[in-house]
Amino acid sequence: MKKIEAIIKPFKLDEVKEALSKEGIQGMTISEVKGFGRQKGHTELYRGAEYVVDFLPKVKIEILVENERAATVVDSILTAARTGRIGDGKIFITSVDDAIRIRTGERGNDAI
Amino acid sequence: MSCFSVRRWRQSLLRGAVVVFFAYILSGLAIVSLAADEPQPDPAGIATGDKSTAIDAAGKPFVVPAPTDQSDPDYAQKKKAYDEYQEQAAKEPLAVKLADTAGHTRIATNFGWTLNTGYLVLFMQAGFALLTCGLVRKKNAAHLMMLNFAAYVFAFLAYYAIGYAFQFGAVAVNAAPGNLGGTPTLNQFLIGSGQWGFVGGKGFFLSGPAYDVGSNCLTLFEVVFMETAGYIIVGAICERITFWAFVLCELFVGGLLYPIFGCWVWGGGWLSQLGVSMSLGHGYVDFAGSTVVHAVGGFCAMALAIILGPRLGKYDSDGKPRAFPAHNVAFVVTGTFILLFGWMGFNPGSTLGATDLRISGIAINTNLAAVAGSAAAMLFWSFVFGKPDISMACNGMLAGLVAITAPCAFVSANSAVIIGILDGILVCVGVLLNERVLKVDDPCGAISVHGYCGWLGAVCVGIFADGTYGAGWNGVGAASYLGKAGQGVTGLLYGDSSQFLTQLSGATLCTLYAFGFTYVVFSLVNALYPLRVGPEEELAGLDVPEFGMLAYPEDEAMPDMVAAGSQR
Repeated sequence: MKKIEAIIKPFKLDEVKEALSKEGIQGMTISEVKGFGRQKGHTELYRGAEYVVDFLPKVKIEILVENERAATVVDSILTAARTGRIGDGKIFITSVDDAIRIRTGERGNDAI
Repeated sequence: MSCFSVRRWRQSLLRGAVVVFFAYILSGLAIVSLAADEPQPDPAGIATGDKSTAIDAAGKPFVVPAPTDQSDPDYAQKKKAYDEYQEQAAKEPLAVKLADTAGHTRIATNFGWTLNTGYLVLFMQAGFALLTCGLVRKKNAAHLMMLNFAAYVFAFLAYYAIGYAFQFGAVAVNAAPGNLGGTPTLNQFLIGSGQWGFVGGKGFFLSGPAYDVGSNCLTLFEVVFMETAGYIIVGAICERITFWAFVLCELFVGGLLYPIFGCWVWGGGWLSQLGVSMSLGHGYVDFAGSTVVHAVGGFCAMALAIILGPRLGKYDSDGKPRAFPAHNVAFVVTGTFILLFGWMGFNPGSTLGATDLRISGIAINTNLAAVAGSAAAMLFWSFVFGKPDISMACNGMLAGLVAITAPCAFVSANSAVIIGILDGILVCVGVLLNERVLKVDDPCGAISVHGYCGWLGAVCVGIFADGTYGAGWNGVGAASYLGKAGQGVTGLLYGDSSQFLTQLSGATLCTLYAFGFTYVVFSLVNALYPLRVGPEEELAGLDVPEFGMLAYPEDEAMPDMVAAGSQR
């Protein structure tokens, strides 16, 4: 099993969700997050005092998939979330030891 | 003793001081207010407004008074006019009865106008609460709303007990509000007399001589003006003052600081009488309170902000200011519009009567200065910093409003626009001056908007007043002024330099008075009981330490969400 974490631009969430649904992904967890990358934030002025907007808002999507599906799922996220401009985000893929559905106690791929 | 119990101990002392203050007022001044008076007040309103208050459009009375001064060169002419009136009145008694009705209706019309415009001014409280709440950080939003709320409550009580009497207790001596029937029972100074009155002396607790319909109408209108000065200070001292110290500030503003200067200018006191006593223009003129209300509030706020010091983290180790951005811009803009709406009561209402048709011009001037001020602030900010700042655009509108408040009745539309532009720029410069040079931390810009722009507004009367209005103002110009009968308040550009001097020195005196009085009193208070919250409370936000609840509980509502989930 793989966990795919995609950090994307907030307004791309709907497109990514649609794309993942088409891939047959049945569940996902999202959270509103903030962060910065190589570009850092930007400076703004409020009533004559400067302040730096360090952390820009992003959406993080977490999904679990079987090992063999990981590559195609990542591809569809890439296509849906890409604008080609700075700040499109990142995707992290990690291996997961196990998954458990709390209601039934099912484990592994059955629990996805 | 732990740090916590020391704070508790101090707080209860401060609370004790508030109670003692009230007890002092109650015991010491109740006697004065209940003393018997001549003439008698009219609590039912059946004797207010008769033929003597019937006047024509030019202000000429229906009743011709009997001339008393035989040495007057016009005595013979006046006597003839009086005799003619008497003869006609005897011939047409029905006309005299009709004049009684007309006079009463005029006063009633003015009551309706004054009360309703007073209600508009009252609504400005809501605008100011929204504006200032939007400008502070989220963690202090509930605290700030409570300050605005308590400002109205406690300042009102102080004004009821002593403030109104100090301000208007002698209004009938030099400045009787004829549009409301004249309030003849408020006729004695506590300190001073004649043209040199300093503090009014009748109407404590609104009893005795103030138990009168005309006086009550005036009280309602004037108390909401005082409240305006009261809430101005919130904008500069918020996010770090303790609640009970703030209550003490409000009692001070409502009971002493505001009413005393108000007496000098609106209660027939010495500043207003300078035209008669020292031949200085029409005396010090402030139509609706650029200085009486706004500069008093603004400079009181400045003194308090200096005593309190800047918010933690406002300046870094090099002294460079940090931004604490507004947490709700929608509140800021909505609040500003409510204030603009309320100002339509503030300025036109200050005629104290709808039968004074100048109200339409005043309303137009007020709006024009507001939009000109806002436009100037937007353009100035874009020019200097690249893009307009929304909160400064709102401050610019308020700056225009504050500045036009004193001259609104005396200037033309074009002058109103110029005044608005001047103050739209001044407010931006003032905010930058406070923030970068003086390092006075003013979260909402109250000092610049109300203090600096209020001062300039009153000075603008002495520059732009065109002489078309205000004949007889403070007893000057009805018969003749600058060689012309019926000459109104006249500024430098229209040929009266003495008016300009009076405005300049009067407005400057106001700033020194408000700043100095507040600084002395609250430096002492601060030395005894610190006005400021502890650093931990300040960093955490004052909502919970001071009031035990958050403005936005859902931000920290994890336990509630779990509870809600478990019920499904």
